[in-house]
Amino acid sequence: MAATPVKQTPNTPTETVEARFHRFAAAWHRDTDYLSSMEAADRHPAYQEIIGLGVEVVPLLLRDLAENHTHWFTALEAITGAQPISAADAGNIPRMADAWLRWAKDNGYRW
Amino acid sequence: MVRPLEEMFPRLAGSGYRVTSPRDGDYNCIAWAAGDTHLWWWPGQDVVKEYWPAGVPRERTRDAFIAAFASLGYTLCEGEAQEAGYEKVAVFEDADGRPTHAARQLPNGLWSSKLGRAEDIEHKLHDLEGALYGSVMLIMKRPIPHG
Repeated sequence: MAATPVKQTPNTPTETVEARFHRFAAAWHRDTDYLSSMEAADRHPAYQEIIGLGVEVVPLLLRDLAENHTHWFTALEAITGAQPISAADAGNIPRMADAWLRWAKDNGYRW
Repeated sequence: MVRPLEEMFPRLAGSGYRVTSPRDGDYNCIAWAAGDTHLWWWPGQDVVKEYWPAGVPRERTRDAFIAAFASLGYTLCEGEAQEAGYEKVAVFEDADGRPTHAARQLPNGLWSSKLGRAEDIEHKLHDLEGALYGSVMLIMKRPIPHG
């Protein structure tokens, strides 16, 4: 499926990280919500743009993960270098989310 | 915002399909076809993110998907028509022969699909065919478990 261009609105100095996150996340949802492969969804250009926002976006990812179980696992791993999910919990999205939220709390993140 | 269903799956328009669940990112189509609403099933290479049955190759191939459903007692069968005493699943593949989606047959003869991180729908089997999911390429069946 063709990905929706995500840079039609150029990043501007006045656009906050939160606004950019929401813009990229909307494009990602629009193009990947019907896919079953996490890897395919994670390769989407908008998802990669979110990873590129760096550590500043982590609280936004954690909030969305906590509230909606949105699949930010790969982004969190790419940005933080951590991988707190146990192999026994593979595919159990609530437990995967809990593992990341526990790790984030233990490492001083607030969201 | 997610694309409207009928934009992604044009054959659904006017087909009488029905949305049967809210959006839910905790399980996907393969899980739903397998009767599991607690796990996300896919043969991804990262073994901590997606569930895949133990002993089944973690590869996006027809054989791996056949083996995954075989682990639940399904065997390949010829047709999609209802058969008394059996339940059926259908696997969709893209033009490269790589699985994209699975659906399961309902007692009323229609099919039920979980659409990625989105909703479950009740639909006619071939109405999800198209650019995103490709075509139905195989059907498997198993005796309906008692009790």
